[in-house]
Amino acid sequence: MTGPILIVGEVQNGHLSGPTLEAISVARSLGGSPSSLVGFVAGHDSRSTALEFGRFGVSHVWVARDPTLDSAPIAALALYIAAAATKAGAETILVGGTTLGRDLMGRLAIRWNAAVATGVTEVRRDGAALQVRRPIFGGRATETRRLDGAHVALALRPHAFPAPLDAPVDPVIEDLPSVPLPAAWLAPRRTGTETSAEGAGPSLGDASIVVSGGRGVRTAENFQLVEELAAALGAAVGASRAVTDAGWRPSSYQVGQTGRSVSPQLYLAVGISGAIQHLVGMLSSRVIVAINSDASAPIFRVADYGIVGDLFQIVPALTAEVRRVRAL
Amino acid sequence: MEIVVCIKPVPEAETRLRVAPGGATLDAEGVKFVLAGYDESALEQALLLKEALAGSKVHAISFGPAPRTEEVLRAAVALGADLATWVESPSGSAVDPIQVARALAGAIAAIPHDLVLCGKQAGDDEAGLVPSALGELLALPDFGSVVDLRWDPVTARFKFLRSTDAGGERWEAATPCVIGLQQAWNDPRTAKLPNILKSRKAAIAKHPAGPDLPGARSEPQGFELPAPRTGARLIEYKSPQEAAQTLVRILREEAKVFP
Repeated sequence: MTGPILIVGEVQNGHLSGPTLEAISVARSLGGSPSSLVGFVAGHDSRSTALEFGRFGVSHVWVARDPTLDSAPIAALALYIAAAATKAGAETILVGGTTLGRDLMGRLAIRWNAAVATGVTEVRRDGAALQVRRPIFGGRATETRRLDGAHVALALRPHAFPAPLDAPVDPVIEDLPSVPLPAAWLAPRRTGTETSAEGAGPSLGDASIVVSGGRGVRTAENFQLVEELAAALGAAVGASRAVTDAGWRPSSYQVGQTGRSVSPQLYLAVGISGAIQHLVGMLSSRVIVAINSDASAPIFRVADYGIVGDLFQIVPALTAEVRRVRAL
Repeated sequence: MEIVVCIKPVPEAETRLRVAPGGATLDAEGVKFVLAGYDESALEQALLLKEALAGSKVHAISFGPAPRTEEVLRAAVALGADLATWVESPSGSAVDPIQVARALAGAIAAIPHDLVLCGKQAGDDEAGLVPSALGELLALPDFGSVVDLRWDPVTARFKFLRSTDAGGERWEAATPCVIGLQQAWNDPRTAKLPNILKSRKAAIAKHPAGPDLPGARSEPQGFELPAPRTGARLIEYKSPQEAAQTLVRILREEAKVFP
């Protein structure tokens, strides 16, 4: 597979998102010359993001301007992406490590007849096929999988790949012809959006630092200590199930088996003992730090660095130190 | 409302993972299988909808080998599922998640389905491919990472929140549709002993996966366990301030995770 690679662009605050930039990196590492890198972006006002693709060496961008995509289910977007892949003669589709990436893959597997994988952290060519590695079992194992066939589509895992270096080209930007969408797919309506269910900071899914609090925090009011540290770090706030079960914070905060899975660069566990149900939601974080008063807590067995001590003293000191260093 | 819930048996969370001979998969020998975590939420959500809507039925469906697949179906019956269908996996051949979706879609197409509920992903392979593939195969809209799913009898629509990286999206959708659930309203219930005993005799319908199932497009080649963690490097300190300074210095200079 050395044919064109289609990169699905997601837009955040008017720019290509971090996960999309990671996907561009992967496309380039697969030996994609500018002529084989093709971008896709949806939205009626996408010219600036289409141009942004060019900054990173993507030479051709297909734009889906269909206004119904703004509030249509992902199924409709998948149709346009498959159409762009056909136009581009693509053999590979790459999507960033987001909920969109995951939700597209099942559709593309059928509609575009692709071999697919999600949560991918490494990609390499293996003869005519692609070989990927992906953490499974909540980061307790890693599988290597070979994807065969003329079409392969991958959703990456966030923070697994570097951002691409600038390699500016002047991209050709073309509008995709409109694709007829089945009426049943347009019947569901998006009635609103909520920015970051986890509060004012970055969301759990795409934050590069996550600070989570557990039972050791003791009360809903004390949880502010965790949030202040997160704010100082520019981090997302998470919680163990003990916290959400107690109602100290809503269930959208929960990291673990029945909550969110996160894989940030840095995961700070504050007052979390480290039950396996929590660990499977954060084990694939790059660096794990634990702060807990109980030196025998299982969290210290998986953490890279630990502070055994009273979180009510350590955490405020840490927040102050982070603020001090940040202000330098 | 006819509610179909797709469930998957996965190794229980406390399982000590071992590599199977050949090195490509988990060694399932002696492993205890349980209902996958998000699927447990999906089943709970289905039972809550059934209780809220008179005349509803919950039909649990699972793809996989004996005996684990039959066991999770019986567990679902013990929890309150009315019907159970076992989609038998073809023996001896490895399957990928898209084949599973194709096999499930074949069985679901043959039964009434106003709502197809799945967990958003299973805790073993973490692929999360089945809900969206089912949507495509059954020609239905699908929604992943759904929390707070409710039925509005006035508009005859589901109302729900999709958890996304940017926060959340509020949606309304009519039946039929596919939903990949992240969280139910309540904690999953536990089965009562008389129901567990009754479930042992419950009828489990069998649906062959079909000889025309297309081949696997992806194949596992390696299953690796990380090197055992050596345990945290504990920071020594005389004051909380010293602990904080040392940690920040390490994170910046050694781990390089601090911007």
